[in-house]
Amino acid sequence: MIVQDNLSIQEKLEILTDAAKYDVACTSSGVDRKGTPGPGMGNTVAAGICHSFAADGRCISLLKILFTNECIFDCKYCINRSSNDVVRTSFTPDEIATLTMEFYRRNYIEGLFLSSGVMRSPNHTMELLCESLRLLREVHHFNGYIHCKVVPGADPALIEITGWYADRMSINLELPTADGLKKLAPHKTRKNILRPMKQIQLGRNDNLLLDCSPRRYITNGNEIHNNIRKPQILIDDTSHNFSITGSNTSALGLVKRPSVNRGFVPAGQSTQMIIGATPESDYQIISVAEALYNKFDLKRVFYSAFIPVNEDNSLLDLPGGPPLLREHRLYQADWLLRFYGFSAAELLSEDRPNFNVLLDPKCNWALGNLEVFPIEINKADYYTLLRVPGIGVKSAERIVKARRTSRISFDDLKKMGVVLKRALYFITCNGKMMYPTKIEENYITNQLISLKEKLPLGIGDQMTYQQLSLFDDVNFNQVKK
Amino acid sequence: MKNKRIYMCEDSIEGIFTAIYDAWSSRYGHEYNRIEVFMKHESERNLELFSEYIYVKTDQEKAVKVSKSVKEKISMEAYDMVCHGAWSDREEKADIIYRFLILGFSMGAKIVNHLVNDTVMSLFEMNRNVSNEANHCLGFLRFKEINNHILLAKINPKNDIIRLVAPHFSDRLSNENFIIYDENRKSCVVHKAGYPWIYTIGDNLNLDNILSFSNAEEEFQSLWKIFFETIGIEERKNDKLQRNNLPLRHRNNMPEFNKSEM
Repeated sequence: MIVQDNLSIQEKLEILTDAAKYDVACTSSGVDRKGTPGPGMGNTVAAGICHSFAADGRCISLLKILFTNECIFDCKYCINRSSNDVVRTSFTPDEIATLTMEFYRRNYIEGLFLSSGVMRSPNHTMELLCESLRLLREVHHFNGYIHCKVVPGADPALIEITGWYADRMSINLELPTADGLKKLAPHKTRKNILRPMKQIQLGRNDNLLLDCSPRRYITNGNEIHNNIRKPQILIDDTSHNFSITGSNTSALGLVKRPSVNRGFVPAGQSTQMIIGATPESDYQIISVAEALYNKFDLKRVFYSAFIPVNEDNSLLDLPGGPPLLREHRLYQADWLLRFYGFSAAELLSEDRPNFNVLLDPKCNWALGNLEVFPIEINKADYYTLLRVPGIGVKSAERIVKARRTSRISFDDLKKMGVVLKRALYFITCNGKMMYPTKIEENYITNQLISLKEKLPLGIGDQMTYQQLSLFDDVNFNQVKK
Repeated sequence: MKNKRIYMCEDSIEGIFTAIYDAWSSRYGHEYNRIEVFMKHESERNLELFSEYIYVKTDQEKAVKVSKSVKEKISMEAYDMVCHGAWSDREEKADIIYRFLILGFSMGAKIVNHLVNDTVMSLFEMNRNVSNEANHCLGFLRFKEINNHILLAKINPKNDIIRLVAPHFSDRLSNENFIIYDENRKSCVVHKAGYPWIYTIGDNLNLDNILSFSNAEEEFQSLWKIFFETIGIEERKNDKLQRNNLPLRHRNNMPEFNKSEM
């Protein structure tokens, strides 16, 4: 590996941004924190703030960089794998602190997203990440958002001290199953990934219990409904791996906490999986996501359509480019798990393991469960309303609010943002449907497919091509079983 | 048939409240009254036939009376909705607020949920529009460092949102000296380190005089552009999505979209 010395800060920034860009998460959400009196700067907003949008249309919220791309691991999907011939370089903690502070002052960013290749050893790397965060928090008194990656295999004490400085931490699951991981990331193990996840979960719970200050409730409209799924401290099958989870002892306390207490990983943790590099089904993927939400109390699971940056015969071939539509369907399903009260087993099953390319997961579910419809808009409770195609979180909230003062008609629904052409098959207002229609699976399926679904811009363009090639073997009866 | 009376007032919450006070106390009949504001940069307008135009002079005392009764007889929430509505750029806003209050004084606090009514819905939409733009501004606003480490941001919002974003930045950058300048309205928010922010009309503020940016400014702008250009993924390039998320009108004041400008 050739490490380039004497690079300018511009060159380093370019190399270490380029190496970090495949990481999905750029959110700055999850914690509300006012500015502090005294020196320094910064606050955080629970809903997160987008500062710009890159040429690929993705939000830029944080300064997303690697500390170093000098990596001893050889993960087959990664541009920085040790066997690749790329220019290698590293920042210093000082350089990272200066960039963050100066970008933040100018309102370019909400804060820092620091990830890294594994330099020398997991512990050595984690120490450097931790030192960068310490400089920002203790020397520059930076009070903005920090998201820090955990290096799998790092010492729990290092993870704990980093957790006191960071707002969010994440450990990439990388691949949906342990098999996939073994095949493509030979230096990582499932155990080394789940163990810090559990440590952070327990640490957060501990911190919330010990902390006398009242818990900061998140007021973001979307996140209110998080309590559909109560955080649980379930011990997973893999729990025998967690020596740190002794039942009576605190999960924290390996290190002394810093003088300014911002809480332990107050914005929670997230993870990401690569989609399409290995042959897992959508059902496997969302079941894993559901387990992560339920058993590890994750805030977000991100899905990243696989982009082949390396030639390697153990990777799946993707002739149609990155599987963006599949990624989109998974995000839609993820939304249903988190905010709509759905479970993975309702959406898919062993017999029907993949999402329908032509219909979004909620329509797909509704068509398979026509017996629960139609529902009466003026009576149905909030969570039942949420299950109607064409009604989202915001319109359901508006319906519940508006019907306290008067009965709601179809006209009113339209004003409240309900997509009637989708919803009309599933609802009644004051006992009547919008107009007489067949409640019959094939009929409604055809109607819904003929409506143009609003896909994220850019995905639709490829869709026409994919649709045509898929149409030949789409068998609706089988799809909807 | 009676002639219509059109009350013309200043584009501010005080102006609109004064007009509402005058229209109300005239006992002419709400259905014959209409309230309009002079919008910014308006030099002439087409006058309607068979209408009587009344030019309202803003009166603090009348405005305070109206705001007090809104707070007491309707609710604080309704008052906030009205204030944010008055910052909207919608031309009919004054009359919508007038109609909203007529209904509000008869319905009381529950008016804010009465979304099936067109007036309430319109005010609700205006509120959403104003707060959406303010939220965008929190992210898209850019400071540039001029001499003496002072930060300067120029904005060109459609709605009058400068007072909605000021609290956020003065909390975030409490130890910085900064100016946010609304070029369309010639208004600005000035913040001195350690002090609360102030709002002022800056007719005399000539930004062209401030051409001397600090030495560090160019360096960090160019670093930011490097970051911005590198972070996008080539294989996922998607101009439409970028334009949808970040409409062109916001980009004028953002260094990453302006190749040469300082």
